[in-house]
Formats: sequence, C-alpha cells, structure tokens
Amino acid sequence: MAAERVLIPLSDTVTVRQTVGYAVQSCPGEAETLEFHLVVALPHDMEMPEGQSLTADAEKLLSKAESWVREDASAGSTTTTIDIETAVLGEDEYLFGPRDYARTFDSYAAKHDIDRLVLDPEYQPGTTAQMLQPLERELESVGLAYDEAPVERPARHERLVGDGTERFDKMFAMFWISYGFYLVLGDPTYWFDLVTGAAVAGIVTVSLAHVTFTFPLDRIGSPIRTLRFGLYVPYLLFEIVKANLAISLVILRPSMPIRPTMTRVNARVRSGLPLLALANSITLTPGTLTVRADDQRLIIHTLIPTAREDLFEGSLERAVRFVFHGRKGARIPTPEERGDTEIIGGDEL
Amino acid sequence: MIEQLRFWGIVVLLVFGLFFTFVSAVGVIRLPDIYARAHTASQTDTLGAGLALAAVALALGWDSMTIYAVLLLFFVFITNPTAAHAIARSAAESGIVPLTDETEVDVEPDPSTPDEGES
Amino acid sequence: MTADLLNDIFLVTAALFVVLAIMMFYRAVAGPTTQDRLLAVNVLGTNTVVILALLAAGLGEPWFLDIALIYALLNFLMAIAISKFTVERGGVL
Repeated sequence: MAAERVLIPLSDTVTVRQTVGYAVQSCPGEAETLEFHLVVALPHDMEMPEGQSLTADAEKLLSKAESWVREDASAGSTTTTIDIETAVLGEDEYLFGPRDYARTFDSYAAKHDIDRLVLDPEYQPGTTAQMLQPLERELESVGLAYDEAPVERPARHERLVGDGTERFDKMFAMFWISYGFYLVLGDPTYWFDLVTGAAVAGIVTVSLAHVTFTFPLDRIGSPIRTLRFGLYVPYLLFEIVKANLAISLVILRPSMPIRPTMTRVNARVRSGLPLLALANSITLTPGTLTVRADDQRLIIHTLIPTAREDLFEGSLERAVRFVFHGRKGARIPTPEERGDTEIIGGDEL
Repeated sequence: MIEQLRFWGIVVLLVFGLFFTFVSAVGVIRLPDIYARAHTASQTDTLGAGLALAAVALALGWDSMTIYAVLLLFFVFITNPTAAHAIARSAAESGIVPLTDETEVDVEPDPSTPDEGES
Repeated sequence: MTADLLNDIFLVTAALFVVLAIMMFYRAVAGPTTQDRLLAVNVLGTNTVVILALLAAGLGEPWFLDIALIYALLNFLMAIAISKFTVERGGVL
C-alpha cells in the first residue's frame, strides 16, 4: 500500500479536534504516505450579511486543523510522510442540504482518489441544524465509504446549554413572552393572576427556553427583527387578500381554469425560523402550497399560473429576507433569475 | 356617526368572511385532488375565518374579550397553513401523486446552471 | 336598535356558516383519501371556531371565546397528529 488518502470535512464544533486526532491515529501504519484532505464546506448563503465572515472562519479553521494533524502525526512514531491538502468547498456552488454535501464530498473524493472519509459526529456546516444522520444516509447512497470518529462528547451538553449570557437571554425572553401571554388571557390587575402567572412562566422558562430558541439571541438584532416582522404583516395581509380574490374568481367560474403544477424553488433563507416564516407565508397565499420543505429546497404546489409567476418573482422571499437581514439582505435577484426554480412532474415528490 | 361606521364595518367584514368561506366550501367540493383542495380548504378559509373573527373583535369593542378574538385571529393565521402543510406533506409521503397539467409548456424550467456570479 | 340588529346579523351569519360547514361535510364523508377527510375535518374545525366566536358576539356570551380558543388549539393538534400518524402508521407521534 503506497498511500492512504483520508478526507476530513471540518466544521466548527467541539469535537472537531478529536475527529482530526482519530483520523490520524486510525491510519494503518504500513502506508508509506498519508494524505489528509481537510475541507470546509460552506453553506450556500454566501451573499448574506453574516455570510462574508464564513470564508475567513473557514481559512482559520483549516490552518488550525493543519497544525493539529502535524502535531498528532509527529506524536505517533511513524516514519511515513504526511501530506496535507486543504480546500474550501462550496464557494462556487450552492450547497443546500445533506444531498449536496454528500455529492460534493463524493466528487472531491473521486478527483483526489480518496479512500476514506472520516466524519465528525457533530458535523454541522453553517448555521443549519444538526445533519449527521441525513448526511450519513446520503453518503451511503452516493457510495462513499465513511467512518464516524468515536469521540467522547461530554462537551455536547455544554454546547446545548450555551454560555451564561446566551442562556440568560433566552430565559429572559421566554419568561416575559409567556408571562405576557398569561396576563393577556387573565387579568393583569388581579394579584392572584400575577402570582400564578409568574410561577407558570417560570416553569415554562426552565423547561422550554432551549426548545423555543434554537439559536442564540441577538440583544439588538432580535427586537429589531420583531419590529420588522410587524412591518411584514400588513404586506403579507395585502398579498393574501389579493391572491384570495384571484383564486376565488378562478374557482367560482364554471369552467374552473386551474392548471396545477408542482414546482421546486431553492429559497435563499436560513433554516429554522426564517424558513418557517417563508414556507408558512407561501402556504398562506392561496395558489401556492408548500408540500415539502427539505432544507432550503421547497416543493410547492401551485394552482394557477399567475400564482406561480408571483412565486417565481420571489417577492415573499425578499420580504422574509428583509425581516431577518434588513434592507440590504432583501436586494437579491429573483429565484427565476438565479435559476433556482424548476417545474417538476407530479411523481417526483 | 362612529356607531354607524362601526356597524357597516362589521357588516362588510361579515359579508366578505362569508364570501371567502363559501368559496372555500365550493373549492373543497369542486377541485380535483387533495393538493388543489388544500389551497382553498386551508387558505381561503383562513381569510374567511379571519374576517369573521375581525368582525367579532370589532363588535366587542374595547373590552378584555376583544383580546381573545384578536388572539384567536392570530392563532388561526399561524396554525392553519401549518396544518395544511402537514396534511399535504402527509399526502405526498403516502404516495398520492398530484394531478398536474402536463400540457403546460409556456414556462420552461430555467437552464439548470445556477447563476453564481453574484455570490 | 342597532345593537339588536347587529346581534341578529351575527346569529344569521353563524347560521350561514353552519350551512357552509355542512357543505364541507360532503368532502369529509366522500373522501376519497384519508388526507381529504382530514383536510375537510380541519376546515370544519376552523368553521366551528368561527361559529363559536359569532355566537359569542351574537348572544352576548363572551366566555364562548374561551371555548373557541381551546377548540382552535385542539383542532391544530388533531391535524398535526393525524397527518403524522398516517405517514408513520402508528409510529411514535
């Protein structure tokens, strides 16, 4: 065996250090050269305001990982040569979900003749949710051999809880939201409601704060987003009424000229709350119905052509981006111009 | 004068609420498949319900109960599309193939190369 | 005078909503798929909420709105639970 080539996708997790260590350790000693390919796959939202720093972070992570590999390799008494290659993937293509990542890794592996992929069990590119299981499934389906690094993860707990201020922010927000809701339903001037409300809000906060906010709150950003969401609601209502009138005309006409189509739109919004807002807004506007939301890939059923055109123009998407990223984030080309839209057959669900 | 305005406001809201609910009922009965029905059943109906609830809120006036009506309105607007999505998704996952207009040719899918220039 | 008239209008609207709900009932009975029935029942639930709210205004019984709120919550849970159940066929909800 002349060379052993290992691909290690990196992301900024607590277990990334251990993963690199395992990758180095697990290589059979008889190989003459060991080639480590360290890659960082960037999520698709490069043009977002927060996306610009991603490339810089990736470079930093890569250089750190490179030194880890050297460190571990020199610690082991191997006489083999160590080659390290680093790369940033996903800069010139849009990575949406596990399937795209798996495919990118596979094509990289094919290009560099990689034998094995070592996967960080906490692997989490970008800000999207945990994606190990879907990624493993996709890797199996593209036929790339992978190996999950057996890391100890006491640190996992720590990460879920977050640091002190983050936890306080979440609890603070959760407490006042639930207390406010309780008092709205009850009587804010009656002492009994005030006391029981505080108790109930306390219980809700302790048990549910981490479920409600899956991302760290921004002390300035979050209230601003809430305000911008207030601006978004009238706009959405206007769109809803407009679309409702259009669809009512179509349905009440005796000939009922509907043309149902299935479309796929790749939305440029972050997973989680923004995606939920977008998918729900699309569903609320008659004529378009979100059937699936796998990561950023929305499968949307449209009933009439005008609704589909509106969807492809992406005005709702821009509005949602305005809510979460401000005015600058809203200036993006329409999904149609980006080529992110596609009409698919009904059986392609 | 204000009373008169409120009265007519309530009547208009109720009439539109009834109209959209009627459209939704007609849609549920007439449309050909589950995906198409979900459009009217859940969205046109949401607007109908929303308008009727707004009328109730307006009729109750400045009362602590108005908050209930407004909450209800808000709640219907959030949960209905979510429920519709869940139902459509469940239909898709149990393998119900939607009727699609196969003769549709006027809008071709875009060339599949994504425009990467602006990233 | 207007108050009485308004109450009557609310009651009549509630009655019309009941008629529309009965129209929807056709779909709940006819199906043909589980999801069709589920959708119809969900819409029926929304209509029930509206009818309750209209009765609250028409009869001057504002506490009906409490029931409407609970009903809306249960209706939503029902739709989510059954659509999950139909996919997973008795899997963990």
